[in-house]
Amino acid sequence: MVFAPLDDGAGRGEAVARRLAKAISLGLISDGEQLPSESELATALNVSTVTLREALSSLRSQGLVETRRGRGGGSFVRASPTALADRALARILESATTDLRELGDVHAAVSGAAARLAAERAAPDNVARLREVVDRFNAADSVEARRRLDGRYYIEVAAAAQSVRLTTQEFDIQAEVGAMAWIPARTALAPAAVAAAHHAAVAAIARRDAEQARALTERHVEALTQRLIEIHVDLARTAGGTRVP
Amino acid sequence: MTLPSTQRPVDLAAWIAGAAEDVFASLESLRGTMVACHRAAVARGEPLTCRDIAEVRPIVLDWLGGDRDLVVGAGMIVAPGLLADQPRRLEWWHSAPGCDPVFLDVDLDPESLEFYDYARAEWFRLPRETGARHVAGPYVDFGGTDRYMLTLTLPVRSDGVFLGVVGADVPAGLLEARLLPALAALGADAALVNTGRRVIVSTSAGAPSGSLLTGAAEPGAVHPVPGLPWLLLCPLESARSSAVRSAAPV
Repeated sequence: MVFAPLDDGAGRGEAVARRLAKAISLGLISDGEQLPSESELATALNVSTVTLREALSSLRSQGLVETRRGRGGGSFVRASPTALADRALARILESATTDLRELGDVHAAVSGAAARLAAERAAPDNVARLREVVDRFNAADSVEARRRLDGRYYIEVAAAAQSVRLTTQEFDIQAEVGAMAWIPARTALAPAAVAAAHHAAVAAIARRDAEQARALTERHVEALTQRLIEIHVDLARTAGGTRVP
Repeated sequence: MTLPSTQRPVDLAAWIAGAAEDVFASLESLRGTMVACHRAAVARGEPLTCRDIAEVRPIVLDWLGGDRDLVVGAGMIVAPGLLADQPRRLEWWHSAPGCDPVFLDVDLDPESLEFYDYARAEWFRLPRETGARHVAGPYVDFGGTDRYMLTLTLPVRSDGVFLGVVGADVPAGLLEARLLPALAALGADAALVNTGRRVIVSTSAGAPSGSLLTGAAEPGAVHPVPGLPWLLLCPLESARSSAVRSAAPV
């Protein structure tokens, strides 16, 4: 796989589409924003215009990009909450339960280790910051805000662990998990339960109970992973009637 | 800057203080430029904009391009809400060895997962509150340089208005590369720690960089670094790494 040719063949368009879709779902490209011209974008991504058109067509079919013709035309990002929710649900359905379980395993490993090290290395400043993030999560009034602050919580724990590598890993994990865990009308876990779990883990970090901080974090991540798998099975059951395998 | 071939902790502490003074001297000149820019804008009767702040750019680039020892990034970080054309602004440049300095592009959108919330960062908040210079870290500079970093900052005030901070970044690994030989030559285990007793550099594998020391050190083993919130601990026998669960942070 490592030496598979990176030519402009089949699959490259999908790879570019996935990358752009990730940027859109993370809010790096916002709703209504116009994408650069096809040639500019192709140059920036270092792909041919043919590949880029493939990618744009895939994004259009996912409802993430809209192309308007004529004067003032071009490709525009559609990142409305509905479009993003549809996309997130599609992602849960596309991921096999083994993929969700794999993601959960890495999430538990990274976040559990970060919590343990944070209990050993956090300064009062780090703990205050963690409490503040959990409080803001508790007070958040939108799914979007909860998704952001939940992700921020894990990133702050890894930073409190004094580890650049764990922090970077956590960011990638949160970008992937957060989009699936916080879908409007289909939130994986109740916000109050998430807040309580984070609160308990921060309390363990504050009293330097490394093993408890790790155990609580792993248990919470396992519960989240189970819920995502349940949602997948649920969606597969509903989709089963309308889709031919 | 050559390290002293000293065997005495007190001399090494003085050398560290001198190296930091060199950085602060450069920051003083950045601060002077910022204050002059602000006064000029006030005299013109115009609000301050990104273009005014960019006045520090040639000085920063000159500094980073020159024969600097420890500093890999520097610039001006503007108080949120100060500029007329942007709510938040970093005029910050950083460089890798042998490369031209590049503008540090961070995410300043509060709605983003990667939001660089600098107003809450220790290196911004503390000098703002105290009005005094500060050395923050080592800390994980997530969303900024993404490195384990120490940041030296000076608050910038002009006629009672807080403009922000000027600062310089020193990576923990780079500082260690310079200090470890001298630390190791002291003849006993030694560690440089900050006020929170977080290890900056240490010769003891049991108390590595980033860990917290607990337990009291012998009074004779504590050597304050003049002008900095740092202590050089040598010999280190009496100190223990943070794996000990005795001292909770809150």
